[in-house]
Formats: sequence, C-alpha cells, structure tokens
Amino acid sequence: MNLPMRALAAHFRAHLAVMMQYRGEVLLWSVWGVISPAVLYAMWSAAASGSSSGVIAGYDQASFAAYFLMMMIVGHVTAAWDVYEMGYLVRSGSMSAQLLKPVLPMWQSIGANMAYKVVTLMFVVPMWAIFAWIVKPKFQPEWWEVAAGLAAMVLGSALAYLLSYVMAMAAFWAPKLDALGEAFFALSMFAGGRFAPIEALPWYVVPVAKALPFRWMYEFPTELLVGGRLSGAETVWGLIAQLGWLGVLVVAFRVLWRAGLKRYTAVSG
Amino acid sequence: MPQIEVENLSKVFRVPEREAGFVASLRSVFRRRYKEVRAVDGIAFKIEEGEIVGFLGPNGAGKTTTLKMLSGLLHPTSGTVSVMGHVPWRRESDYLRRISMLMGQRSQLHWDLPAMDSFIVHGAVFGVPKAQFDETLNELIELLDIREVLKKQVRSLSLGERMKCEICVSLLHRPSVLFLDEPTIGVDIAMQARIREFIRDYNRKYGATIILTSHYMADVSALCRRIIVIDKGRILFDGLLPDLSQKLAPYKVIKIDLDRDLNGYDLASLGDVLSLEPRKAAIRVPKENAAAVTSRLLTDLPVLDLTIEDPPIEDVIQRVFGGAATQ
Repeated sequence: MNLPMRALAAHFRAHLAVMMQYRGEVLLWSVWGVISPAVLYAMWSAAASGSSSGVIAGYDQASFAAYFLMMMIVGHVTAAWDVYEMGYLVRSGSMSAQLLKPVLPMWQSIGANMAYKVVTLMFVVPMWAIFAWIVKPKFQPEWWEVAAGLAAMVLGSALAYLLSYVMAMAAFWAPKLDALGEAFFALSMFAGGRFAPIEALPWYVVPVAKALPFRWMYEFPTELLVGGRLSGAETVWGLIAQLGWLGVLVVAFRVLWRAGLKRYTAVSG
Repeated sequence: MPQIEVENLSKVFRVPEREAGFVASLRSVFRRRYKEVRAVDGIAFKIEEGEIVGFLGPNGAGKTTTLKMLSGLLHPTSGTVSVMGHVPWRRESDYLRRISMLMGQRSQLHWDLPAMDSFIVHGAVFGVPKAQFDETLNELIELLDIREVLKKQVRSLSLGERMKCEICVSLLHRPSVLFLDEPTIGVDIAMQARIREFIRDYNRKYGATIILTSHYMADVSALCRRIIVIDKGRILFDGLLPDLSQKLAPYKVIKIDLDRDLNGYDLASLGDVLSLEPRKAAIRVPKENAAAVTSRLLTDLPVLDLTIEDPPIEDVIQRVFGGAATQ
C-alpha cells in the first residue's frame, strides 16, 4: 500500500474511534440528515395530492416518496463539510501541524468523512426503513439502473467532496468561511435537486441548475436509483458529465492547493 | 558539510492594523491599513550534523518564524536555506519524513482518543515499517516513562504527560533534524529536567541535529553548547555558551565572605552592589576592573573567602534584551 492509502486507512480507523466517542452527536446528525428530506417529502406530497392531476413535474405522491427517500441516502453519502472546517484549521494554526506531514492534509479529511458516513449509517438505515414503511415509495429501477446509480453515487460523492474542498481553499485568503459554507449548502439544495426535483423548479432556474455541477452530485444518482426516469443514453451522458466535472475539480484542486499553500506559507505558517 | 545552512534569511509580514474603537473599525471596512513587520532580518548560520543549538531571544524576536522557515511552514521573503540538501518550503515528502517540529503550544495528538491511537496514525502517515515502529515506540515509552498513560484519553492527561506524548509522537519516525519550539513550556521543574535528559539521550543515540527555542535558560544551558541569540530578527550572538557573557556582558561578579561586619564600607564606589549582608556581599564590576577591585577588597577588608564569577546567564540575557528593548 502506498503512503497516502496507508495514511487514509489509519485516519479512517482513528476517526471511526472518535465517532464512537460521540455516539449522541452522531445520532443527532443522522436525525438531521433524515428530517430535511422527510419535511420536503411531506411538503411536495401535499402539493401533489392538492393538484388536479395528482402529479407535479411527473411525480405523484409515491414517486415523491421514492425520490426523497433515495435523496436521504444520496445526501448522506455525498455529505462534505470541509468548507466549514478549513477556516478553523487555518485560523487556529492546526493546518501547520498537518502540513508537517508527508501526505496531503486532504487524506485526513477524507478519512474523517468516510468514518462519519460509515458510523452514521448505523442510525440512518433503521430510520430510513421506518420512513419507507410509512410512506410506501414507488421504486422501479432495472438492474442496470441500480448498477449505474451506485456508480453515480460514488462519483457524486467524490464530486461533492472535491467541490467542498476546492471552495474550502478560499480559507487561505479569507479564513472565515461560514457564509461560503451556507451559500454552498443553499446552492446544493436548490440546484442539486435536494429541495425539489429540478424539473419542478421555475422554468428559468432549470437550465442554470443543469449547467452547475450540483445535479450530478445529488439528483442524477437519485433518479437512477429510483428508476424509470432516465434513458440509457441519458445515463451514459450523465456518467460522462460526472467524470468531466471530476476532472475539472481535480485540476482546480491542484492549482488552488499550490496557490493556497504559497499564500499560507507567506503570511502565517 | 553543514546539515543546515542559512544565508541572508529574511521574513517580512504585512499585518493589518487599526486604532481601537467603533469608528476605527468602521473606517477599516473601507480602507485597510497595513504595517510591514520585519520578523527575521538577514540572518545567517550553519549547523553541523549532531549539534544541539539553542535559539534565545525575547517574545517576538523571530525565533519561531526562523524555525517555521527551516521546517517549510513559512516561505521567506528573501534568502536561502538548505536542510540536509533540501529547500524546506518545497515541502518534499522525503524532507518531511526526515524532520520533526514540536511546537509546545500546538498538539499533534487526537484529543478524543488515547495517545496510542495517535502514535499508530503517525506511524502510518510517515510510512514507518512495522518492526521499526514497534522498536522505536517501545524505546520511547520506556525513556519517557509513559506506559501508564497510553490508554488514557489525551484530553484527560496532565500537561506534563501530554508533552511527553507530544515528544513521543514527534520522534516515532526517527527524524534526523528536530525543531523544538518551547518543548518544556508549562511543565513543572522535575518534568522539564526529564524532558531535557530525554532530548540529550535522543541526540546522542541517533546523532540528530536539534534546534531548540526556550524561555527557560535551564533548558538551553543544560542542552546546548552553542547558542544563537536573536532579537528584532537579527543575530546578536552566535557561539559557545560560556562566551556569551564575555561578548554580551563584559563584567564579573565578585563575592566576598568577611571575618567581621562591613561597618559602612563603601562597596558602591567599587561596583554595582548585588547583595549586601553584614558579613557577605556580591558586587558586579566591569571585567577590566576585576583585578583592581579584587586587590582593593583584599587590602581593605578582612576577607575570609572571595570568588570571581561570570554573571549568571539569565542576567546576561536580561541585560542584553533590556538594553535592546530600550534602543
């Protein structure tokens, strides 16, 4: 195993242990991750049942249930919070300790991110099952949609993580980033299809949302795993778009990391 | 060939400044004022492999800034640095695996976990082979006497216990060059002595090169033959510890024990009186006057015992920095 992978595995194990220390907090975060899509489901489900056709943007109550239930899982797997963390690391000087190590600090953050997701699954899965039992979702994926959906979810998770990290690097220039974190979260909700399926948004928002990377993190894997919404061609195009955005973000990360580090080592260290 | 070579090294920070108060803070929203602070100003030195060098200076002298440039955490404004043939701020993985920087006020340990977990992570991050990791860890545990605390959550350790664990984690990859920034800060005297002893042992055993900054003179005088005194970013002295007082404080302290009371003898006319009891006194005199003053004391007073000493190193440093501060 090479050094970054060894470091990642070690950080993952250590952060698993940290999460175990804070089971209460992990439970609360899990509840938070479930509540948001549950509330949105309730809202859109009521809207659909109130409409004359019982359908909004191609979704009836049962398919809204499937959409938001799947979004719970996708939202969980794609969670990334470096845009909040990095400012603290820079302001408190903790970044310096990480920079004295022979692997990128990002590996520590990825280890922590993965550990959080594994531990919270323990709570999310039972809550998800209870919710599914109550709302009776309509899932109808073919086998290829499940396979592509899982791949899209992994790619979406990598995209969300990298975008959060790339934005977080603004901390090297302006180390108080909470507002940027909130803007990132709001955009991901609206333009990622987490607040509502993008097709249900006002017509002038739809092309903007589709041009941004957020759809490829959240809505695209969700639609595949719900099933019956995307053609084979749309699926292939979506996976290519994900890989394309990933390439863009990897380049952005490399350029910004170098510039950010230069800035950090020039002004504070 | 020196292991560390520093040439004409400078670091200038641009720091925002404003007056206190609401109006000034409002004004700063629209127009920020900056001040340039020359933290390190053209310093140069060379350090051979295996040397322990003490960096002395008051707060804000430039000690930590220099260590940060040597470790690669800061990019200098000008000048060159070579450590084991590497340019530190290029931050090559190979370089980072061969150095360690211990910052007494910053922790490298996972606060929520037992120290042992942090040691394991450190071993993996630095790619330490399993056998070497086990051997080094056992040795460090014994030397630092931390077996009892390994299973305790770091947040519940005493400051001394935590500092020993910080030292342990810094050395697990057996660095060849160590930058120790206040390694004994906040710990009690007994613990300071143990940490010093450990640093000396590590230097002897592995031939590591060590640069140490400390506010405690005892750290420096116990560990370092050579010291570099820095103030306002400039090197005031670079040499052997015993030569420091010769160069920076050219005076002697004469102590006398008498057979009878002084009875109003005017010691102050001979030098600065440091202490005065009926049959005991200490005076400070310029080095060139020491012989004459000694002779006069022996002639004028019934001296039982007389010693001539270099001033305590703390006094020298205090005088140097006190003087520097008023310049």
